[in-house]
Amino acid sequence: MNSELTVQELTALMKKAAGVTVDAKDMERRLDTGFSEIGLDSLGLLGIVGELENSHGRALPTDAERCKTPREFLNLVNSSLMAGA
Amino acid sequence: MSSQPGRRSVITGIGVVAPNGTTTETFWKSTQAGTSVLDKVTREGCENLPLRIAGEVRGFEPADLIEETFLVQTDRFSHFAMAAADMAREDARLGRADTVDDPFAVGVVTAAGSGGGEFGQRELQKLWGQGSRFVGPYQSIAWFYAASTGQISIRGGFKGPCGVVASDEAGGLDALAHAAGAIRRGTDAVVVGAAEAPLAPYSVVCQLGYEELSASDDPARAYRPFTTGASGFVPAEGGAMLVVEEEAAARDRDVRARAVIAGHAATFTGASRWEQSREGLAQAIRGALQEAQCAPEEIDVVFADALGVPEADRAEALAIADVLGSGATRVPVTAPKTGIGRAYCGAPVLDTATAVLAMEHGLVPPTPNVFDVCHDLDLVTSRARPAELRTALVLSRGLMGSNAALVLRHGTDALS
Repeated sequence: MNSELTVQELTALMKKAAGVTVDAKDMERRLDTGFSEIGLDSLGLLGIVGELENSHGRALPTDAERCKTPREFLNLVNSSLMAGA
Repeated sequence: MSSQPGRRSVITGIGVVAPNGTTTETFWKSTQAGTSVLDKVTREGCENLPLRIAGEVRGFEPADLIEETFLVQTDRFSHFAMAAADMAREDARLGRADTVDDPFAVGVVTAAGSGGGEFGQRELQKLWGQGSRFVGPYQSIAWFYAASTGQISIRGGFKGPCGVVASDEAGGLDALAHAAGAIRRGTDAVVVGAAEAPLAPYSVVCQLGYEELSASDDPARAYRPFTTGASGFVPAEGGAMLVVEEEAAARDRDVRARAVIAGHAATFTGASRWEQSREGLAQAIRGALQEAQCAPEEIDVVFADALGVPEADRAEALAIADVLGSGATRVPVTAPKTGIGRAYCGAPVLDTATAVLAMEHGLVPPTPNVFDVCHDLDLVTSRARPAELRTALVLSRGLMGSNAALVLRHGTDALS
């Protein structure tokens, strides 16, 4: 499970961890929209970080849960996963 | 914290999620008919526990009523509270348009006796089954007593005084007094009440140590207060939320004052010290009457606590007689909760909702499953009794020793 986190997977995690329904194609087009505007609160993002850490079997940087937008989050998570690959 | 004179609290909206009805209409229909819905416990994981009979809320579909973002981070007890709050707001016609200009004018108060046991158990099982990394972050809020107040506040955008009353089962009445206090100090409206979900394995196990819990496996005999067959109480889930408003603010919105919260008092006499609860309950009744400036003979109906433990039933019957009189001056007493069980903090709020509906319909609902009363009480049994009801008294006691009394007056008195 060292593959890159896709927008599709992120939307699936948002649904699972926080009950937030977002269309993946929709989010592709607005990766800089804030999580808060999308309806994902900080505990929801923390839950997503936990899910990713468990599925990848490794810790993510503590900054991951402080990301404000999907783009920021994807960049940070993917660079961290790539660095460890 | 100064009180402003003349600011009276009136009930303008009622929302109910109860074992005998998940709308206020069905709840009242079953309650006035005296239907008992006590039944075998069927909730998952509870089937083989020694608690056999309870009042379950069945046919409640939270996904139809509450947004998924709120559902994933809340326990069943908050689902009940959010759904009931929606109904109460709709009943009071308290919409976004009424609150968006001044969100600080509306507060939220709930009472809770046990918090979110089902959610908590699920996450604790992950902790011990898979490890701490598998515990979801919403565990940090979902199982706390305060969860329902917080979620109703966030969901409705209510930024006025918010609080949680954790004072035992009688806290359901104390929450209403807390709301009335906020209104006296200047808040226009408070969404207030209590709902509980104590029928999950962890929560049931926590209750098994209560000596007052009924061990009966017969739904018709498990909860029969004020009879020689009294053998404890049956727990229930559900509860009620009300919209309580400042009288003039309700009038300005052209909303009917369904009842006035006229007086309240609370006392404490110690856990399971039922004989002593006689004096504690009597003192609470006196305090509530005094605040309501209500003479004992003005009380037209009493909604009893009705624990179902002989010593506690005797104490309550004596407390009622001590303050309201006995013999020829007896007042009608009822305990509709014998048909649905005791929803802990939700129970006295359900009784308050019933008291308002009873005054509106001029009908004292009966006490299901209770027939041969062995105390000096005019307990209404078998069928509802028509009566002109202008003032009602609601009583509640908690297993840990809290006693509370609430005096309600009929709404039309308020606007005369």
